Amino acid sequence: MVCLGMAMAWPDKARTDPMPTNLYVQARPAMGTEFKIYLYAGSEDQAVALFDGAFAEIERLDATLSNYKPDSELSRINRLAGREAVTTDPEMFSLLQTCMDYSRKSGGTFDITVGPLMRAWGFFRGQGKYPAPWQLDKAREKVGWEKVRLDATRRTVHFTVDGMELDLGGIGKGYAADRVARQFRNAGVKAAMVDAGSSTICVIGAPPGKKGWLVRVHEPGRRSLAISTVLLKDQGLSTSGSYEKFFQLNGRTYCHIMDPRTGEPVEGVLQATVIGADGTTTEALSKPVFVLGAAKGAKFLANVPGTAGFWVLGELGKARSAEWNWPGCAGDCGESLEANGERKSTRR
Amino acid sequence: MSEIDRRKFVGAAAGALAGAWLAAGCKERAKSPVAPAGQPVRLGVIGPGSRGQELMRTFLRVPGVRFTGLCDVYEPRFAEARDITREDTPTFRDYRALLAAKDIDAVIVATPLKFHGEHVVAALESGRHVYGEKSMAMTVEECDRIVDAVRRSGKNYQVGVQYHYATWYRDTLQRVREGKLGKITHVYAEWHRNNDWRRPVPNSGDVQLERLINWRMYKEYSLGLLAELGSHHISFANEIFGGAPESVVGSGGVDYWKDGRETYDNVQVTYRYPGGQTLFFSAITSNAHEGAQIRVYGTEGTAVLTEGDAVLYSEAKKLKASSVTKLLIDHGVMTGASYMAEMPYRGKGEEVPVPEDVEGNANYLACESFVRSIVNRQKPEADEREGWAEAVAVILGHKAIEEGKRIWFREHTSRVNGVGA
Repeated sequence: MVCLGMAMAWPDKARTDPMPTNLYVQARPAMGTEFKIYLYAGSEDQAVALFDGAFAEIERLDATLSNYKPDSELSRINRLAGREAVTTDPEMFSLLQTCMDYSRKSGGTFDITVGPLMRAWGFFRGQGKYPAPWQLDKAREKVGWEKVRLDATRRTVHFTVDGMELDLGGIGKGYAADRVARQFRNAGVKAAMVDAGSSTICVIGAPPGKKGWLVRVHEPGRRSLAISTVLLKDQGLSTSGSYEKFFQLNGRTYCHIMDPRTGEPVEGVLQATVIGADGTTTEALSKPVFVLGAAKGAKFLANVPGTAGFWVLGELGKARSAEWNWPGCAGDCGESLEANGERKSTRR
Repeated sequence: MSEIDRRKFVGAAAGALAGAWLAAGCKERAKSPVAPAGQPVRLGVIGPGSRGQELMRTFLRVPGVRFTGLCDVYEPRFAEARDITREDTPTFRDYRALLAAKDIDAVIVATPLKFHGEHVVAALESGRHVYGEKSMAMTVEECDRIVDAVRRSGKNYQVGVQYHYATWYRDTLQRVREGKLGKITHVYAEWHRNNDWRRPVPNSGDVQLERLINWRMYKEYSLGLLAELGSHHISFANEIFGGAPESVVGSGGVDYWKDGRETYDNVQVTYRYPGGQTLFFSAITSNAHEGAQIRVYGTEGTAVLTEGDAVLYSEAKKLKASSVTKLLIDHGVMTGASYMAEMPYRGKGEEVPVPEDVEGNANYLACESFVRSIVNRQKPEADEREGWAEAVAVILGHKAIEEGKRIWFREHTSRVNGVGA
């Protein structure tokens, strides 16, 4: 007897079947938000099996990448890497390499070490406060992607400064959405959308008879009002916004998105949306594109193939938009996109 | 040595080990390299399914570990497992071919329960150390064969009861052995879930594939919830009471998820130990309120253990009689309405501290300990004796449920904790 003794081949049925027309949806809390998955499947049973597999993968990643859960792999690294080189598994190591790569390419505007700054500014589980200079100095000592040493030959992570911590909140949801998309593709799913808390969306194919999945970008502070609509097909999209968590002091607005280079909140940008090849890419890019603003952000995106950007600048009530390579049309214009595939300027 | 003496000896030896581990092991573990530089511990895995893959990820977090062989009969597992190793790790469809490979030091057996006995014994006899998923095996005879193979081969066998390595479990056990909870009379444990306990099957119409992936649902391959979930709790109770139980009664059925499964969707078993102590274990799949918990009841206090922590509660102090002044006799007592809450005193509870360096993941601690036992040529903590005691309790508990009667262990084995008579 050899293992189970049954010779099995991967069922190919889903690949050869015609495109299913039944759309199913399931939502579950994960990674501190709600994941909502839409998919076309031949039957409810098939959809439930796919949902179960997808959410099991998301839960696995949540248990691995969380910095809230003490038994996660990331928490283990955070506890030990200030004192020694910590060996981790290839998946975690590869994701950390990706993060360092984005940090390098973005000139440090993407940085998974900003946790101490978030604490100093009171945005870790809070609404924010102006820090004392000594608090900011102390936090800055423990921030900086270049203080993270990755050794590929030994697959180890080491912090050059004790007390540093990694936070994968700026890439983890996108990575999880991509893992689910990959799982679906392997199972022969032709059309699906993974919505990771609405800030990152990853799509496979397009709904039957459609050119893509419609995604609307809403006006900052007004979720019911679309300011642009795009069609996505085999792509990712991510949005970073400063209007959910901020405080005002002496006429200035301080939001929860930090410029890791200065250690201070970004000013003058309300929202940045990025389209790219997948969820990992767009979630990682959305932060530097927000931090850099429209002009520099567009230059940065120009070096990343297949990307596009859309910014809302200024302040609430007096906002203006800017875009680069943006395929969307103004307002809630899905019908016109579907009808002729043409884009109209979204500039307002 | 009499049966009781042997039980006491095994229990005392385990207690001494636990104490030593707590005193010396914890801090070092996180700081020193596990395998010598340039000499990786090379692992093969038989059965890289969902649990096997989780073990692979965890083992790869231990310094100096590399996977050099993957064996499965289900082709998609190879791509999934290589996605974990991020290497073109050699694959085998026959476990004997994997065991014939030269570059494997130890084998993880994560196949369905039915095959544990065959695969573990073959791996030990091929000269490999084995990390064997729980439960140890599906029959008493197979458990005996594994114990004998460990003794013959001189190789390490560690059973996959990872909570054995959780610091809050070890700390609680230490306090129990120091008498902090008084005399332990009962352990009540449950693992309650509210789901169908099924794994997704890519093509739900494929009956063979369904049995392959959801083998836990079928009696040919599995002893159901008692083996897959109860083995953790039984193993801990065995540690507290110093070895395997002496009898068991049980009940169970397919009462809620009537979806073609054969193994029960709820089980309740009551074990009696030679010292007059009791373990009650329940697993249900229709309500998750209780989750996974163990409550250790002693005459002086209670320990409540979960997958992430442990809290100790004291019993209310027993009051001594106090003298009464004559005044009461002269003036009498006052009458009136009275109220006293039914709930007993519990107090705030004392959290069992978890050392900073080893906080958290029991799986990591178990995998790291196995690798360390190979490198340092030491016997694993959760060894073949612990595996035998846990598995025989599972097997006979299952038999008690099936036959609806009390099962006496002495009628099915002459061994005590795996040691032959």
